[in-house]
Amino acid sequence: MSELAIARGKYVGASVSRLEDPALLAGEARYVADMTLPRMLHAAFVRSPVPHAEIRSIDTSGAEALPGVEAVFTGEQIESHPMADPVMIETLKKTPQFVIARDRVRFVGEAVAVVVAVDAYVAEDAAALVEVDYADLGAVTTVEESRAEGAPQFFDDVEANTVFEETKTWGDPAKAFAEADRTYKHTLRANRFLAAPMETRGVLASYEPAEGNLTVWSSTQMPDVLSVTIAGLLAFPAQNVRVVAPHVGGGFGQKMASYPEEIVIPFLAITLGRPIKWIEDRRENLLAAMHSKEQVIEIEAAVDDDGTIRAFRSDCAGDAGGYSFNATSALIEPWYAATLMPGVYHVDDYETHISATLTNKTPVGPYRGVGWTPGHTARELILDGVARDLGLDPAELRKKNMIRSDEFPYAQCTGQVYDSGSFVESVDAALELVGYAELRQEQAVGREQGRYIGIGISPYVEPTGFGTEIASQQAGFPFPSHDNATVTMDPSGKVTCAVSVTTQGQGHKTTFAQITADALGIEVEDVAVVQGDTASAPFGMGTYASRAAVVAGGAVALAVGEVREKLLKASGLLLEAAPEDLTLEDSRVFVKGSPDRGMAVAEAAIAAYWAPNARTEGEDPYLSSTRFYDPKATYGNGCIISVAEVDVDTGRAQVTKVAAVEDCGTVLNPMIVDGQVRGAIAQGIGGAIYEDMVYDETAQPLSTTYLDYLLPTATEVPEILVGHLETPSPVTMGGIKGMGESGLIAAPGSVISAVLDAIAPFEPDLDTLELPLTPDRVLRLIGRVSA
Amino acid sequence: MAKSVVSLSVNGSPADGLVEPRKTLADFLRDELELTGTKLGCEQGVCGACTVLLDGQAVRSCLLFAVQCQGSEVTTVEGLAAEPEFDRMRQAFSDNHALQCGFCTPGMLITTTALLPMLSGADEAEIREGLSGNICRCTGYQGIVEAVTELARDGS
Repeated sequence: MSELAIARGKYVGASVSRLEDPALLAGEARYVADMTLPRMLHAAFVRSPVPHAEIRSIDTSGAEALPGVEAVFTGEQIESHPMADPVMIETLKKTPQFVIARDRVRFVGEAVAVVVAVDAYVAEDAAALVEVDYADLGAVTTVEESRAEGAPQFFDDVEANTVFEETKTWGDPAKAFAEADRTYKHTLRANRFLAAPMETRGVLASYEPAEGNLTVWSSTQMPDVLSVTIAGLLAFPAQNVRVVAPHVGGGFGQKMASYPEEIVIPFLAITLGRPIKWIEDRRENLLAAMHSKEQVIEIEAAVDDDGTIRAFRSDCAGDAGGYSFNATSALIEPWYAATLMPGVYHVDDYETHISATLTNKTPVGPYRGVGWTPGHTARELILDGVARDLGLDPAELRKKNMIRSDEFPYAQCTGQVYDSGSFVESVDAALELVGYAELRQEQAVGREQGRYIGIGISPYVEPTGFGTEIASQQAGFPFPSHDNATVTMDPSGKVTCAVSVTTQGQGHKTTFAQITADALGIEVEDVAVVQGDTASAPFGMGTYASRAAVVAGGAVALAVGEVREKLLKASGLLLEAAPEDLTLEDSRVFVKGSPDRGMAVAEAAIAAYWAPNARTEGEDPYLSSTRFYDPKATYGNGCIISVAEVDVDTGRAQVTKVAAVEDCGTVLNPMIVDGQVRGAIAQGIGGAIYEDMVYDETAQPLSTTYLDYLLPTATEVPEILVGHLETPSPVTMGGIKGMGESGLIAAPGSVISAVLDAIAPFEPDLDTLELPLTPDRVLRLIGRVSA
Repeated sequence: MAKSVVSLSVNGSPADGLVEPRKTLADFLRDELELTGTKLGCEQGVCGACTVLLDGQAVRSCLLFAVQCQGSEVTTVEGLAAEPEFDRMRQAFSDNHALQCGFCTPGMLITTTALLPMLSGADEAEIREGLSGNICRCTGYQGIVEAVTELARDGS
């Protein structure tokens, strides 16, 4: 077996039913909000109703006088270091944020005080009684306003409120633009939308002073990072901090960060000596949890008459919100958009201008697909324009310029090395799956009858399995991104697999059990997967960036491989056979070809622990191994094709069909992969047509309920056909690539493209394109109402 | 705030409490009765995660006060799980990968319970319409629609 192999038996590659389902279906699974502790108190935050102001004074006396209120804290009273992003790019300016604002607020929703009371009702009553005297500092809602002369300054040392600005050039784009037959230019104003997980954020913290232990239950994707952050910011002994992410109701990146509230609640628990619980309400989640995706991207393409792309130029201007967000910095949007811009295409000459500017809006952070989503959308929309202009089929134009399968590994001009892939093949497979030729006919016939359908093609490459190497290719610096797994077979032959990645619905209990069970020839039900608890799972970075299957899958495979070796060694001594002559199957260990010469795995396990003759002198009897894994860079790919129909009388655009072909290398569980693809595409449909975090010109957020912030329901998401290609990565354990984000990277582009294709006969002026494509905007594009 | 006596039947057992009139049914179920299977996703009456059966009707428990439900029969996901026919629903949801994080799932199961008797001969569009009051952020709905389609077909 090669060192990169993952053992395959009856589980790996099969649609194994999820082991996590029974508890979830019984209503028995506990999320943070479902937990209570003796003497527990409830916290509610007082949040700024103004976007940019100096805090002159805070009067907490009314709140403190309310029966049931235990304490009120303002920012000055919270003994915590401020938060700042840890990004190691020297030219990126830091924007430290107090966990509760002290002298100044920079967005609506920033916490200015916290109330602790006997229950959540009283805490919220009291929060409304805290009186804050704000002195208006003048608010800016857009990047343009924020950079303008005379705009209010956010931080003394951040000139033009811009935390980062840089031009990067690869090859000779000036020459390519001068020589190319044609040039094109397009501006994408990408809308601000957000993860909106079904479960909001929540924290419960408990401090036992005699023991000195602080336990924090949080709806987080990164418990180890949060644990380190709490210890650091509160100067609390790190060895006594335990962070637990129990069942988590979706994250999609929004729960990656260590948030101010996750520092404040532990501080209150330590200070008051009682357990403190805070459960975010939906309005708070829409106001104070991170927003995403908003950028203005200007893209130019230099193209020859035959459709050959010669070069790109881009300007990616990120709207950071009030702070360059503490977990990832404001670069999570424009940098990622800029550096993946060449995507699946041959592009040797490329220049990009990247900037991130503060505005008085909620800070922007990672959401599934990060800044790749708007960057990808901008590029695919300009290619649609090129195809229309040159009279080429949009699929053909794309295929003509794509990196071919015989070119891997392929070093893209931006320094990303694509390890393998099926770019052209995935387009062909998606065209076949969606029934492209028939759809074009249907489109032509429909147009004659006043029925407007459109097709949008969106091929993607997705950086996945974030380890240190891909981080340096993507983030511009090598942030260490390894993870660990501990696999232990106990004396009964049952196995615990503890991993440092966390789960928010991805089915890890099942997939990691599949890898473990196949390596040991046992049943998935005999494997318990442990995660999300710093006390019982090994240290690691957690779940983000389509990495869990690659990084933790690899670590599990390495660790279980060692346990297998130990078990075979012990069994060899007992069976008087060489370990390499033994095999594991059906929960038995036996001599290959002689099933009778063997024993149950359970017998071998108990012997390994307790029988002296099952080990040689000095042998470690413990059937356990902890291994770390930091994969080489690997890239998934695929193609999403959406079909949309537009009612030109009402402007309503409806996605009627989606075909997605994905290639994530070795598939561990096709059912789970399909679920990830479909879920991410549904979020992409949301971002393209429905979801919009709207601010008015005074920087007041308007989309603060689910009546205003529209999430797609079962009637807005159509059937999504999923096809699989399997090009195993040559550089990762088992050939696994990640895939969790691809749907939200590529679906918005494909949906917008489909809607614009549907209304192409109206020759919409795409310079006025605004997103999402709500009915009023569609009507403006087709000229039924004036702009 | 003065408290009122509330007395109702939850999952077939009597459930009495002394609550503020402003206490929502959802909070009464979760905090007083410790039936935490019912989830709160928005408390704005939109997402459907808190859906329970009130005298057989699917309702948003975040939009009702406990005192409004005086004398009523309430069924939560914990009550469904005790029903023998629930096995079929559980199997269909699991087989069709109709859940990921599971947070919308109790509401989806309650809605499905209320919906199924009305779905005889329903097509996919009607099933989607029936489910459109419950938001799921993970699955893209297809697994849920397929599970309910299977249940409607096999039940008729």
